[in-house]
Amino acid sequence: MSTNRYLADYVTLLLVAAVLALVPLGLGGSAYYLRIATLMLIYMAYAIAFNIIFGHTRQLFLCVGALAGSSAYISVVLVMKMSWSPWASIPVGIVSAAVLGGVFSYVSVRRGLGVIFVGIVTLVFSMIFHNLILGLRKLTNGETGIETKGLGPGVLEPGLGSYYVILGVLMACLVLYHLLMRSRAGTAFRAIADDEFAAELTGIDVTMYKVLAASVGSALIGAVGAIYAYYGGFINPTVYALVSVDIVVLVMLLLGGMGTLLGPVLGGVLFTVLDEIVRPLGRLNVLVYGVLMIILVITFRQGLVAVLRKVTKVRIP
Amino acid sequence: MIAILVDGIVQGLQLSLMAVGITLIYGLGGVLNLAHGQFAVVGGIATALFIEAGVNPLVACALGILSAGVFGLVVDRTLLLPAYRSAGEERLLLGLLITLGLSFVVNGYLDYKYANISLTLNLATPSFDVAGITIRTASAVAASIAIVAFVLLFAFLKGTLLGKVIRSLIQNEVGAGLCGINPGRIRTLIVTLSAMMAGLGGVAQGLFSSLGTEMGNELTSFALIVAVVGGVRSVNGTLVAGVLLGIINAFASYYVGAYLTLIILLGAAVFTILLRPAGLFAYRT
Repeated sequence: MSTNRYLADYVTLLLVAAVLALVPLGLGGSAYYLRIATLMLIYMAYAIAFNIIFGHTRQLFLCVGALAGSSAYISVVLVMKMSWSPWASIPVGIVSAAVLGGVFSYVSVRRGLGVIFVGIVTLVFSMIFHNLILGLRKLTNGETGIETKGLGPGVLEPGLGSYYVILGVLMACLVLYHLLMRSRAGTAFRAIADDEFAAELTGIDVTMYKVLAASVGSALIGAVGAIYAYYGGFINPTVYALVSVDIVVLVMLLLGGMGTLLGPVLGGVLFTVLDEIVRPLGRLNVLVYGVLMIILVITFRQGLVAVLRKVTKVRIP
Repeated sequence: MIAILVDGIVQGLQLSLMAVGITLIYGLGGVLNLAHGQFAVVGGIATALFIEAGVNPLVACALGILSAGVFGLVVDRTLLLPAYRSAGEERLLLGLLITLGLSFVVNGYLDYKYANISLTLNLATPSFDVAGITIRTASAVAASIAIVAFVLLFAFLKGTLLGKVIRSLIQNEVGAGLCGINPGRIRTLIVTLSAMMAGLGGVAQGLFSSLGTEMGNELTSFALIVAVVGGVRSVNGTLVAGVLLGIINAFASYYVGAYLTLIILLGAAVFTILLRPAGLFAYRT
């Protein structure tokens, strides 16, 4: 048993990589759909990171967009104003996102904040971030935003190459998630998700593992946010707004299944398809997100992976 | 100087009007209502629609506030039921996510259907002078509405048996239940009442300047900040915090500009949560 304990994980990882690698072939060379597919990968990576933070340690971070945005803006502004190389500035962005997330987590655990207060604090951080970006007009161009470039031929420039670069990043996130979950930390996360108090009593350092989950998740969010900034060709506060990132990521994760490996990926695919279907409705798509979110929260909290597990009787990771 | 102070107090009263709803719903139902600003917008837009249909403005305001109440009643009796059925952290989380979703539903629908409608109420006399200071009639009216609403609310909570029941539920839901109080019905009453007060806040906003469909999130954030600073379980604290933050808001907007002001207010909310989670004016227990 111990040899193929992770077999299901490996098979899933390979399948996900294979299927997502074949997606561009099915798009018939349409640049529009290629962009949508690439954005889907980016949002999946956000969802994986958010899954570590919320799905496993129950810390409701309503600042995924703000964390991604702070990393992206730090990196882009360093490149634009101080003429750094993006390769040097992206790590700075990632580290600052990780530190921010870690600090939020440490402070909330120390102050004994419940899930709702963590939600409020991070929501307020999102608003502060949004206003700072709008206010620091000299650095950020406010609402107008900053135009960005890719990182050299094929790397994060619009096109097929970027799809595979970002797929590589997504797979790296999934592998990291897998490694994290099979380590000691993974056991601790599961214990914390089940019952934080009991976990503490069995000798698990809840503070450390919550901060660890928050920092690792935030670092991933920061990395993806910065990558998005260079791939997207343009950043402004809307790109990283609560509505554009947090809600989407939350719905994806709920749809797919919290605390699972495959959940964020499945949720990402489903949400993207759904989003394309409601796109003709224009502004009404916000309403669809809201309805979807309410329905998911009320009736479908286990997510798709749990349903598939029940139906197929296969242990889906 | 005094004009700014007066402006701040009036604005603060209006904020409290909304924030007190968040406080009551959280204290009683254990649901942090992230769609509270949307209740206000529903009330305001309904008023605007009634006025457009040719209803007398005063009646339209009453009908608008009533619509907000009905909306709150429906939300409480349908969407929030699953949240009420669970307890503890689970209820908090469920309530938060459901109302967050609701806020998007309302935003999306109003933006789509009534994008061009906004509520602006103009009074016959724009301003009058008291002891050398010019006061806008709208401010005076909005302030008096808020004060009357608060006096009524306090009289209701402190003076009547039902108010006592409500306060007992806020203190201890299980204990109140053991005394034979049905929390469900009281909750519905409070959500409806809070939604109506939010609607009143929306109408007051229309009196001040104008209320558009897109303002829901902004109103929710302000109300949330006030409720948090005042202590999410304390009605008195909310009132004081609202007036205080209103004054800070007015002075800061005047001296340092709007964007820094908002950051100051948001920072105040964060520090309150971190330093005194029960609110600035809570008694130490």
